[in-house]
Amino acid sequence: MIKLVSASHYLQPVYDHAALTSLEAPLKGLCREPFRRIDRFIQLALLGSANCASGRNLRPDCGIYLGSGLGPIGNNIVTQEQLIRDLEIPKPFNFINTLGSSAGFYVARNLGLQGQNFFISRRGASLQAVLSAAMADMLLGFVTQALVGVVEEVALPLDAHRLRQHLSQDILLAEGSHWLLLQSGASDSRSLDLKRFAEFAALEDFLKSAWRTGDRLCCARSMETHAAEAMRRDFNAGALSDPASAFHDSLEAAWLAAFVTGGEQGNLFLVDGHPERGWSLFYLGA
Amino acid sequence: MAGAYIRGVGLSCALGEDAESCVSAMQRMQVRPVRLHLDEFDEPLQMPYYRIPDRSELFDAGRFERLLPPVARAAVAQAGLTPEEIHRLPMFIGSSCFSVGLSESRYASALVQQPETAIPMPLCGYQDIAVILQRTLGCKGDTYTYNTACTSSANALLAALRMIELGWYRHTLVAGAELANRTTLAGFSGLQVVAETLRPFDAARKGLLMGEGIGAVVLSAETDSANRLRVIGGASNCDTWSVTTANTDGNSVAKVLNQALHQMRVQPRQVRGIKAHGTATPAGDAAEALGLRQVFPNLPPVSVLKPYLGHTLGACCVNELILYAGALLHGFLPATPGFETPDPALGVQPITTPEPAPDGHYLLNHFGFGGNNTVLALEKIAP
Repeated sequence: MIKLVSASHYLQPVYDHAALTSLEAPLKGLCREPFRRIDRFIQLALLGSANCASGRNLRPDCGIYLGSGLGPIGNNIVTQEQLIRDLEIPKPFNFINTLGSSAGFYVARNLGLQGQNFFISRRGASLQAVLSAAMADMLLGFVTQALVGVVEEVALPLDAHRLRQHLSQDILLAEGSHWLLLQSGASDSRSLDLKRFAEFAALEDFLKSAWRTGDRLCCARSMETHAAEAMRRDFNAGALSDPASAFHDSLEAAWLAAFVTGGEQGNLFLVDGHPERGWSLFYLGA
Repeated sequence: MAGAYIRGVGLSCALGEDAESCVSAMQRMQVRPVRLHLDEFDEPLQMPYYRIPDRSELFDAGRFERLLPPVARAAVAQAGLTPEEIHRLPMFIGSSCFSVGLSESRYASALVQQPETAIPMPLCGYQDIAVILQRTLGCKGDTYTYNTACTSSANALLAALRMIELGWYRHTLVAGAELANRTTLAGFSGLQVVAETLRPFDAARKGLLMGEGIGAVVLSAETDSANRLRVIGGASNCDTWSVTTANTDGNSVAKVLNQALHQMRVQPRQVRGIKAHGTATPAGDAAEALGLRQVFPNLPPVSVLKPYLGHTLGACCVNELILYAGALLHGFLPATPGFETPDPALGVQPITTPEPAPDGHYLLNHFGFGGNNTVLALEKIAP
């Protein structure tokens, strides 16, 4: 059985005409060494992972599963400006940090990990992708511990950041770093299960049998609206949302991490899927 | 471990634009990099480059959409999936560049046409390859996109294999894509690891040569009796010695090789051949060679495929798997052009003429920036 033994939740709205919150001070006490040549995406990953792992006994082969919709967007912008606008060869660390896996490297180095280290993306649903991959490896016994994180960075100016994502200019944006530490067989923690259904009716039947008063339902944003509305109606459950109502590409991660770190009781059901590809239910036990 | 069968493949690389002709060209030891000139930078760049032999301009923004679909179609057609299976087909993508070339072109164009409103990285994220392939094939299945540098498509394939073994999927499409773009070409030049000639494991090796390649593999839980290739497992780890190379003492490479062997319950002496990563960088080849020697007292035949198609980076696993698997089916282990002078410090000598490929187990090595090491295991099944 997979247990969720720890979580961390960092969600910081970014307001128009304001600077990004500096991460250097909070990172000082969390990093084993002063990392040089790291970008903001790596800083966010270090912050969230270190907080999640704080006080926990990590096994050296603990897997790292880092997800993101946009990846290291700030560094990628700098690199593209060097290359296309300024016609300069990118600086080596800028080029290396364009890769999503660079963040995983620094997380592993900071936490002393040597196991699997994956960067996985699914636009608008990176939590579901990265959690599925981690849980598959745990169910097969390839890892007994997994640090699963989702990081989303904001790059200034905000109007350009919204344009890149085809967002309306009145949407409040946020940065996020949301992490879960999963472990096989830990006894005193919430259980996490993943069930897959080919048919919507089978998913609903399962939910009806498992549902208890006080449970929470979270319908992924990638679900068709009418399916999500039907589920919320059937289970009399409002959608979970982050307290600031701010947007980033992986909000499901923010919802889940906020639920766990906020001390909420009851089960949480995170549903994602489509009639043409089947349904996934992430089931976080009370 | 049950593994998963290779049921269909598609490939486009410097060797040709379909998998069968690429394998034939490799058997003939065809090597044909072109000379690339990038004069737009303050410091103009020149390098040999393995490009896909289509007729369009290298940085033509339309290439991305033109070159991806035929490869995926070929893999799915060869797999013989039903329309319903294609409709639900999940995709596992590995790349290190994704659509950055397209993003560069749009930004460059905007800087000329409307400089005051041009924004860098007008395309962002990792979804474009999956979107194009889903549209091409009419798929609605889950997508998993991996960006772990040069192990991207290896890790994508490993995940697909594991989810098949769990019974989550019966069939998966695993695709790797790497097309020419300025970020990659200039970025590697800036790292000063690009050579003039490719000499894997050679005493005179000086660095890598890059290439383009798009590969697609349909992995399936089931197959017919005619199918003789099965991916049976693999392992991955992270070496935090350096962000750009595995520890040159070879320890982390040895560890991941041992993990892969342990998972498939195979002894080193049972391995019939190894497809090495073989970037031909001094440090990269040292780490791989010393790791191999720790695990294999007697090395089986080692092949390096990058002299045929260049280093196709995030797509190299799928591209080289298709070539190596194709060679096994044709009964030969590929030779390694460019290897001439053994390096006594390495003790690894790739084969320089094709050798017979017996039935049995084979390993495929992949190492990447970010400390990522991934080894896959393949079985050629007796008829």
